[in-house]
Amino acid sequence: MNLHIVRALVGKDLAMYARNRLFMYLTLAGLALFIAVYFVMPNVVEDTYKIGVYGETVPPAFTQTPPEGGLQLARVGTDAALRQGVLDGDYIAGVALPPDVMEKFAAGQPADVTLYFAPDVPPEARQAVELAVRELAYQQTGQTLAVNLTGEVLGVDTLSQPVAPRNRMRPMLAVLILMMEMLALANLLAEEAERGTARALMVTPVTATDLFAAKGITGTGLAFVQAVFFIAIAGGLGHEAGLILLALVLGAVLVTAVAFIVASVSRDFMSVLGWGMLAFIIATIPSFGVLFPGAVTGWVKVIPTYYLVDAVHRAANFNAGWGDLWADLVILAACCAAAAWLGIFALRRRLS
Amino acid sequence: MPNDAIVAEKLEYRYGNLVAVKGISFTVGERKILGFLGPNGAGKTTTFKMLTGQLRPRSGTATLLGMDISRDLEKAQARIGVCFETTNLYEQMSAIENLNLFAKIFRMPDFSAEALLDRVGLSGRGRDRVATYSKGMKQRLMIARSIINRPDILFLDEPTAGLDPASSERIREVILEERERGASVFLTTHDMVEADKLADTVAFMNSGEIAALDTPLNLKRKYGRRALKVTVAAGDGLADREITLDEPETADAVRDLFASENVVTVHSEEATLEDIFIRLTGRGLA
Repeated sequence: MNLHIVRALVGKDLAMYARNRLFMYLTLAGLALFIAVYFVMPNVVEDTYKIGVYGETVPPAFTQTPPEGGLQLARVGTDAALRQGVLDGDYIAGVALPPDVMEKFAAGQPADVTLYFAPDVPPEARQAVELAVRELAYQQTGQTLAVNLTGEVLGVDTLSQPVAPRNRMRPMLAVLILMMEMLALANLLAEEAERGTARALMVTPVTATDLFAAKGITGTGLAFVQAVFFIAIAGGLGHEAGLILLALVLGAVLVTAVAFIVASVSRDFMSVLGWGMLAFIIATIPSFGVLFPGAVTGWVKVIPTYYLVDAVHRAANFNAGWGDLWADLVILAACCAAAAWLGIFALRRRLS
Repeated sequence: MPNDAIVAEKLEYRYGNLVAVKGISFTVGERKILGFLGPNGAGKTTTFKMLTGQLRPRSGTATLLGMDISRDLEKAQARIGVCFETTNLYEQMSAIENLNLFAKIFRMPDFSAEALLDRVGLSGRGRDRVATYSKGMKQRLMIARSIINRPDILFLDEPTAGLDPASSERIREVILEERERGASVFLTTHDMVEADKLADTVAFMNSGEIAALDTPLNLKRKYGRRALKVTVAAGDGLADREITLDEPETADAVRDLFASENVVTVHSEEATLEDIFIRLTGRGLA
């Protein structure tokens, strides 16, 4: 890699970036999209809680989903599976029944029931689950005090640390800012390929490595600086700043790689917008799990931005540290490496 | 030959099953212009792309200034200039910014964009965005960009295609100036008149092969037919006579004509490169 060439190319890209009217259109298109998403979302509240139930014997009331709705019950084979299901987000809560539950109910004595909650389930949801379990026990026994409930939070308990809605939005807005940069970089790259300027560079001493390094530095740098600026303004660097900065660097690398992939299949601004928006929406999904706990299930972990969102959210909002989040960062770094390899491979084919 | 700037030996390239270039060989000497002529689809641009490193030959070898392009492409690319057929400039940047970017890439610290723009007839427009330029101005800027590094070999792909006469003439002047400076030139074109004006040697490409390779004069001598076209008075009107040159009886025929007829005009008629191309390949240049 030739540093003076990379420096020249980065300077050119920044100049192109600064004078491109594209960003005005992007801002307007982004605004329109966000408004559209808002109106597409249902305007009625649907609070159906899916609860896992484990017990050697399970009373009939705990196996049938109540007809009035709002609750969905799923029987689970083991206590360990129940715990894992709660951690994975498959259930908003788990109900572990004692082996002697039927005998207690028959004897008119309260049974000791343990409720498992994921760390991020808000207090109102926990209260709702507790009420629902008491109601099920009442239906089974006809007694109002049929159960003694013990709550157990799996993982880090965040019950005592309520998070303000705007702080819940912080990871989502950081992802949105990063992804906006992805669109901008993808457009720059698609233009280079379509207008043949990349070809003009490749018949000079500029190598493919120089070209990708310059684009990577430009994209990662711009995305990172803007995301850090936002997080800093939003007060997200008060705890574990180094960890959050590393997460944002990895996030910036990830969106740069996504930009390479989007550019490799795009021919013009409209196709960048089309493919880019698809990536945009997918990347944003994990942050809904932070905004609305229980709204998404464990499958969101297949989306790489989950690990960025989770790291930023838990570090900034729950003071989680390196020991808690190292796995997130490792997985995020691995996703970055895989996406970068795929992006460079795809874009190289396009440019050749 | 050791002083050849470009040496191509049995170069071949295929797109799937289609063989675009069929094992061609040629050389371009120092300070020489090779006109690479042929119709669309003949293999000119594919050869151009192989020599400039945009395509990797499927077989055969090529050296630029003694450097094998399969091993020392980067070094070779530092000493060549390339002008593409289609415009590929940064249109949101000014002409000066475009040139300065490539000057940085080539490490030309004493480079003056204004002086180069003056050479191609664009002085005074250097700070305008390229998007505001006409096609002719953009092509002249492309030529300027290709000579930033004072290249030892200049590759030009249809540099005057579709341009107005003034722009074409300016570009031809720059090409000749570059040869004077010491550059060798590889010029692809389907404009036979342009090739005749500029090229020291021409290669006729047809269906991926070189059908002929020689100087324009030798090709005309070898394949062309020279004649005198004579107009004579005939009664109240005029009549045409033709005398073939380069024949043993030509001199007698000329003397007899002047002795026996009232000659009004005499013109010499030479074969053009296009005539020769059609004769050799059986097809035109369109």
